[in-house]
Amino acid sequence: MKSQFNNLKGLAIAFVIIFILASISGSAAQKVPISFDDYHGYTGTVKYIKDVARVYPDITRLIEIGKSNMGRPIYVLVISNMKTGTTIDAHVKLRNMRKEGVKNVTPMKAYQGKPGQWICGSTHGNEHTGTEVCLYIIDKLVSGYTSDTWIKKLIDDKTFYICPVVNPDGVYNSVEKGISQRYNSMMKDNDRDGKVNEDGPDDLNRDGYVTQFRYKDSKGRYVIDDVDPRLMVQLGRNEKTVKPRYSVVIEDKDNDGDGKRGEDPEIGIDINRNFPEGWFKEDGMQGGQGDYPTSSPEAHAVAEFFTNHTNILMAQFYHTSGGFTYRPLGTAPHTKLAPKDVAVFDFIMGKKYLELIGEEIPEAWKTPELIDKFKEELKKTSKNKYAISRGYELPRGWKVSYNETRDRRYSYGLATDWLYMQYGVYSITTELWNPQKDIKGLSKFTGKNARLELARAILKYQDEKFAGKLFIPWKKFKHPELGEGEIGGWIPKYRGNAFPGEPLLGVCETHWQFELFRAGLLPEVVITNAKARVLFNTDNAHDATVLQKGNLVTVKKGKSKGRYKIVEVTATIENTGKLATHIARGAQLAGNREDVVWLIGDRDKVTYLQGTPFQKIGVLEGVMKIPGFSAKSTPPPSSQQRYRYMPQYYPRQMTQRQQPRQQQDMQTGPKREVKWLIAVEGKTPLKIVVTSQKGGTKVKEILIK
Amino acid sequence: MKSRTNLKYMIVFGLAFTMLISFGRTLHAQKKLQKSPGGYHGELDFPISWGRYYSYAEWTKIMHDIQKKYSHLSDIESIGKSRMGRDQYLITITAKSTGKHEDKPAMWVDGAIHGNEVNGISCSLYLMWYLLTRYDYDQYVYNLVNNCTFYILPGLNVDANASFVEFPNTAHNPREPFRPEDNDGDGLYDEDRTEDVDGDGELSTMYIEDSNGEYKLSADKRRFVRLTNMEEDVLRFRRIGQEGYDNDGDGMINEDDIGGPDPNRNYPSGWNLQAGNPYPMSEPCTRNTYEFMLKHPNIFAGFHYHNIGRLIMFVSPPRATSTQRQTAEQRLKEQERFNQYLQELRKTNKYAQAFDIQVRPGYEEDMNAQAKIVTMGARILKNYRPVTSGGMGQAQASTYDMLGAYAYLIELWGSPVFDADENDDGRVSDEELLKWIDIELTGEGWVMPHKCSHPDLGEIWIGGTRKKHVYRTPPARYIKMEAEKNAMFVMYCASQFPKVEIDEVNVTPETDNLYWIDVAVKNDRIYPTVSDRALKLKRAVKDKITAIFSNNISMVEIPKNLTKIGPQNYSTQSETIGKEGAEFRLKGKQTLHFCILVQMDGSQGWVEFNVKSQHGGKDKRRVNIKLSD
Repeated sequence: MKSQFNNLKGLAIAFVIIFILASISGSAAQKVPISFDDYHGYTGTVKYIKDVARVYPDITRLIEIGKSNMGRPIYVLVISNMKTGTTIDAHVKLRNMRKEGVKNVTPMKAYQGKPGQWICGSTHGNEHTGTEVCLYIIDKLVSGYTSDTWIKKLIDDKTFYICPVVNPDGVYNSVEKGISQRYNSMMKDNDRDGKVNEDGPDDLNRDGYVTQFRYKDSKGRYVIDDVDPRLMVQLGRNEKTVKPRYSVVIEDKDNDGDGKRGEDPEIGIDINRNFPEGWFKEDGMQGGQGDYPTSSPEAHAVAEFFTNHTNILMAQFYHTSGGFTYRPLGTAPHTKLAPKDVAVFDFIMGKKYLELIGEEIPEAWKTPELIDKFKEELKKTSKNKYAISRGYELPRGWKVSYNETRDRRYSYGLATDWLYMQYGVYSITTELWNPQKDIKGLSKFTGKNARLELARAILKYQDEKFAGKLFIPWKKFKHPELGEGEIGGWIPKYRGNAFPGEPLLGVCETHWQFELFRAGLLPEVVITNAKARVLFNTDNAHDATVLQKGNLVTVKKGKSKGRYKIVEVTATIENTGKLATHIARGAQLAGNREDVVWLIGDRDKVTYLQGTPFQKIGVLEGVMKIPGFSAKSTPPPSSQQRYRYMPQYYPRQMTQRQQPRQQQDMQTGPKREVKWLIAVEGKTPLKIVVTSQKGGTKVKEILIK
Repeated sequence: MKSRTNLKYMIVFGLAFTMLISFGRTLHAQKKLQKSPGGYHGELDFPISWGRYYSYAEWTKIMHDIQKKYSHLSDIESIGKSRMGRDQYLITITAKSTGKHEDKPAMWVDGAIHGNEVNGISCSLYLMWYLLTRYDYDQYVYNLVNNCTFYILPGLNVDANASFVEFPNTAHNPREPFRPEDNDGDGLYDEDRTEDVDGDGELSTMYIEDSNGEYKLSADKRRFVRLTNMEEDVLRFRRIGQEGYDNDGDGMINEDDIGGPDPNRNYPSGWNLQAGNPYPMSEPCTRNTYEFMLKHPNIFAGFHYHNIGRLIMFVSPPRATSTQRQTAEQRLKEQERFNQYLQELRKTNKYAQAFDIQVRPGYEEDMNAQAKIVTMGARILKNYRPVTSGGMGQAQASTYDMLGAYAYLIELWGSPVFDADENDDGRVSDEELLKWIDIELTGEGWVMPHKCSHPDLGEIWIGGTRKKHVYRTPPARYIKMEAEKNAMFVMYCASQFPKVEIDEVNVTPETDNLYWIDVAVKNDRIYPTVSDRALKLKRAVKDKITAIFSNNISMVEIPKNLTKIGPQNYSTQSETIGKEGAEFRLKGKQTLHFCILVQMDGSQGWVEFNVKSQHGGKDKRRVNIKLSD
C-alpha cells in the first residue's frame, strides 16, 4: 500500500512538472494563458478564442459562421493584422447606380485581400486533438506577433482562418458529456415512434462518462486479457477458447421500453461525408450522408465560408488518429489532380511533413528529375498502376484515401476533395496522434501480437504518467436488462486522442511547424517599378496614334502643348511568394478568376487610349521551383467566358481597338509588365491596384512626372 | 360427410363497412353544386383580376386574403426567408374536414424559380384561386380538394421576382437569386447593372450617332433598321445595347448584373460546379423549398413553372446503359420503326405521344405512366410539346431523382415566336415583331426612338421594344388563357393520383369447413401507388393488405411455394395473405388478386380486409359468411 502511495506521489510531481513546462513554453508574450494538461472541449475552446479576440483586437476577429442543430455557434477566429491590407472595392468608385438600391453585396474586409490559410479541427466530434492543435497554433501566432519577426510578417501579410471546432455538438458530447460522438447531432425520430432522440446511450453508474459494460455471455466475442485483466481481447470469428466469454457493449439501457437499446440517439450524420464532391454514386444514387450535399448546418457553414472567402489557398482539416496525412483524392483516383499540383503536394508539402514526423522520404522525392527511372523500376515490382504512372508508392505518412491497388474509392462527399476540386485549394486531412511515435519512450512492437502489446503498454503508460486516471477500472454493476456485469474502460475523450500534457504538446508543436511551413508557401503579389511619364500634350484627348509591334510602341505625337497630357503608365506586377496564385486549374473554376490589375484615376479626367481600365493578367507563378515544372512550361489559362451576355464596349474614337487583355497574356512566370497610355485632363491622382484572389490585393499611387 | 353441392352460401357484404376511400367519415353533399357548364362557378366569390402582373406585396396579400376567406380549405405559411429577407409564402390547399394535408397524396407547384419568369406566379395563383372558389360549385374540384393536397409556392425566387416586376428590367433579368457574383472577373461583385437611362420606367435599347454605324432610322421613324446600302447618305447609328451606365468605369456597360448561380442548376441531382456554383442548395430560396419538400413525403408529383417555349418537360427515368453499340444504320432503322409506330398511334389520337427511350430495368412503370400523363398534357395544353428533361441540378430532376415524385417542368407561353412569325421561318424579324405589337398588343410594348443624354456617352438615342412582358412573359392580356389550361393539366394529374380499392371478394368452399377467400385490389388511375424511383430510393412505403376474422374463423397458413395448390379459382394466380398481411405495389390501371384459406367453425362468421397505401389511401371490406341449409 505504501509503495503505491509513493508511486502516486511521484506521478503527481511529474504531472506538475509537465504542467509548468507547458505553461512556460509560450509564456513570454502570452496575454491569454493556455495549457494543454487536459482537453478544452467546446466550452473551454469558445472561452479561449473569445478571450483572445478581446485581448488582441488589432490582429484577430471572431466570426460566427453558423450554428449546429443544437444551437451551438461555430466560430472562426481570423488572425491577421486588421490595420494592413486592402481590397479592390475600396478603390473603385461606383456611380450612377440603379435607383432600386439592392444591398446584396457587403463590403470586403481588408483581411480578404491577403492570401489565406484555413485550419480546423473536430469535424468528427470525438477527434478533438485537432481542436487542441488549433488552439496551440492560435497561441503561437498571437503571442509570437510581438516577439517573432517571421510570425509578425505572416500576420501582417496573410490571413489565418482558424476554426477549432467544426462540429460543436459532437465535441460537446464527447468531451463535456463523456459520450463519444463522431457525427453531428440532429433532432430526429430514428425508430419512428413519434418521439425525438429518446433513446441514446446512458451513464448508468453516474460517474460522468459513458464507458463500457462487460458481462459474461456464452456467445460473447471477448475474453479478458491474461496480462492486463482490464483489457478485453476480441476473438476471431471461429476462434475457440477455454476462458469465459464476454460481451462488451456501450453503457446504455432501453430508455423507451421498446426492447431496444440506443435505437434513437442524438447522433446525426458524418459531416465529412456531406460535401458536394463525389457525393453521388456513378448511377446517380446517394453515396454520401445527409439528405443532400451540405445538408448539415456544419458542412453548410463551412461551404458558405469558403464561398465568401475566396482568398483561401491552403486548408487543413485535422482528424485523429494514425499520425499521417491524406492529400486528395479519396472519392476518385488521383489522376484527376493536375500533375503540377501532385508535385506541390508530394515533393514540397509531403516531404516536409515526413521530415517533421520523422518518417522516411521516398527516394523518388529526393531526386524527382530521375522520375522516369523510378517508373521503370516500379513497373517490375508494383501492381499499383497509379504508383507506376507517378513513379513512386505513397508512403505511410502521406497518402491518398483512395484505394489505388483495388481501384476503389474510399468514400463519398469528403471535405478536402471538394475544396481541392471545386474551390482550388491545397486542402489536406491530417490524422493526428500515433501513440507508438508520439509517446516518447514506448517500446516498438512488431509481429502478430503488436496491437495487443501496444494496448497493454498504453494502458501501463497511463498508469504511470496519469495515475491511472484516464481509464475507469471495471466495477460491478447490475444492468436493468443484461443483469450482472461490470462497467469500466477508457474515458471516452482520451480514447483515440493524444494524451494531454507531453504527448499532446509534442503533436501540437509538430503540426504548428507544419502549418508554419505551409503559410510560408503562400503567394504574395506586389507592384514594383510603377511609373507615369508624360509623353506630350495635346488639345484632343484622342489625338495620339499608337502603333504597337511586340514590345515596341511607336507613338505619333500631336501638338506639343494643350489641355491633355498623354501619359504612359508602366509597372511590374510580381509574385514574390513561393507558390502560384492559383492551383493548376484554379483560375478556370467557377467562382475563381485570374489575377487582375486596374489603373484608376478621376473618371472625368482620364481617357484610356491604350489598355483597358482593368486587365486580366492570368495566374502569376511563384518563385519556388516545382520539381518537374518550369514556369515557362505552364501555359497561361485561357480567359474565361463567363459573361452571360456579350459585354458592351461603348464607342470611343480609339486610335487602336481596345482589348480586355493586352500583351500581358503572352507573358508567363511570376512577373508581368503592364502598360497603359492615357490622356489626362488637368490633375488627377492615379493608382495601380493589383488584385489576386489568393495572392492578395496591393495598391500603388503614382505621380505623373 | 356432407357433399359440397348440398351447401348453399349466403354471402353478405357488410355494407356499413364499405367506406369512402382514404377518410373514415361521410362527406356532406356539395352545397352549391353547379351542373351546367354555362352556370355560375363562384368566380365572383373572390374576384381577382388576371389582367396584370402583381408586385410581391400585392400577390402575397392576395394569398393571405383568399386564405382568410377559405380558411376551411387552406393554410398559409412562410417556408423561410430569401437572401434579402423576403418571406417565401406557401399555401396549402385541402379540405380540412376530410383529413390532414400530410395524410393525403400531394401535388407540389412552384412558380418563377427564375426571377424574370413571373408568369409562373400568375399560373400558380390562378390554380389556387380556381381550386378555392370552385370548391362549392364544381364536383371535379370538390373531389380533388377533398382527396388531395396542393402545396403551392407561387414565387420561389422572391427577391428577383419582386425586382423584375417592380423595376425597369430587360426580359431576362434579374433571373438568379441575389448572391453576389463577379461576372466579368474584375474583382468586383454585381457592380454594373442595367439602368433606366431615360427614366420612362422601361428598359429599351441604346443607339449612338456614328458616321460608321450600321443602322439608320426607318422611313416611318419608328425603328432603327440595318443599312443595306453602306453608301447611303443618312444619319447613321451604332447599336450600343440595353439601357445602362458604365458604373465602375471599366469601359463596359451592364457587364456585371445582379445575381449568382442559376437557381434551376442549384439542386442536388446532376449538379455541377460550372452551372450551379457555388454548391448545391447554396441559395436560401432553393434550400428552403427543397427542405419543405423533403419534410413532406406525401408529395406525389410536382410542377415547376418556367418561361418560355410551350413545353411539357417531364423527368424521364434513368436510361438503360446499352451494352452494345449501334451502328449509324441500325440507329436509323430503329428511328424509322419508332416514327412509324408513332404515326400509327396518331391515326386514332392526334395527341398521342411516345418516347424512344430504353429505361433501366425496374423503371418501366414510371415511363409508362409518364407517357400516358403527358399525352393527356398535350391534349389539355393543345400547342405544348412534351419532351424529356433531367439532370444538371434542375429542380424537377431532384423532385424525381431524389424524392421519387413525378415531376414536370412547364415552359409556359410561346409568343411572339408562335404567333408573330408570319413567314414561318422559325424566327421573328423586327418587322414581324412590330406588326405583332401593333396588331396583338395594339401598339403597347414599343418605345419610339428619341434622344437622351448619357453621362458616359454624351447624346444617345433610345428606342425599340420594351423589354419586359413582350418576349418572355406573356403580355397581361394572355395571362388568363395560359393559366387556365395549365391549371387544368395540374388538376388532371392530381385526378390520376393512385387510389386503392377493394374490388371484389369471392368465397369458394373447400372440403370440410375450409373456405378460399379471394380478394381483388385495384388502382384504376394512371399513376402507380408509388413510383419505381421511390422504390429504388427506398423512400416508398409499400401497399399492404391485411385480414382479420370473427372469433370462429382462423387462417390456414399456406407456405408461399404451395400457393398453386388452390382449386379452380383465382388463387392459382394469387398471392396469399399471411398473418402479417401481404405487401405489394399496384401499378397504374392494375388489379391484383390475393387469397387466403380459412377455417370456419359454426354456421356464420366474417372476414375483413384492410388495404393501406402511402399515396393511394385506405379501403376496407367486411364479408359476412352464413351457412344456410
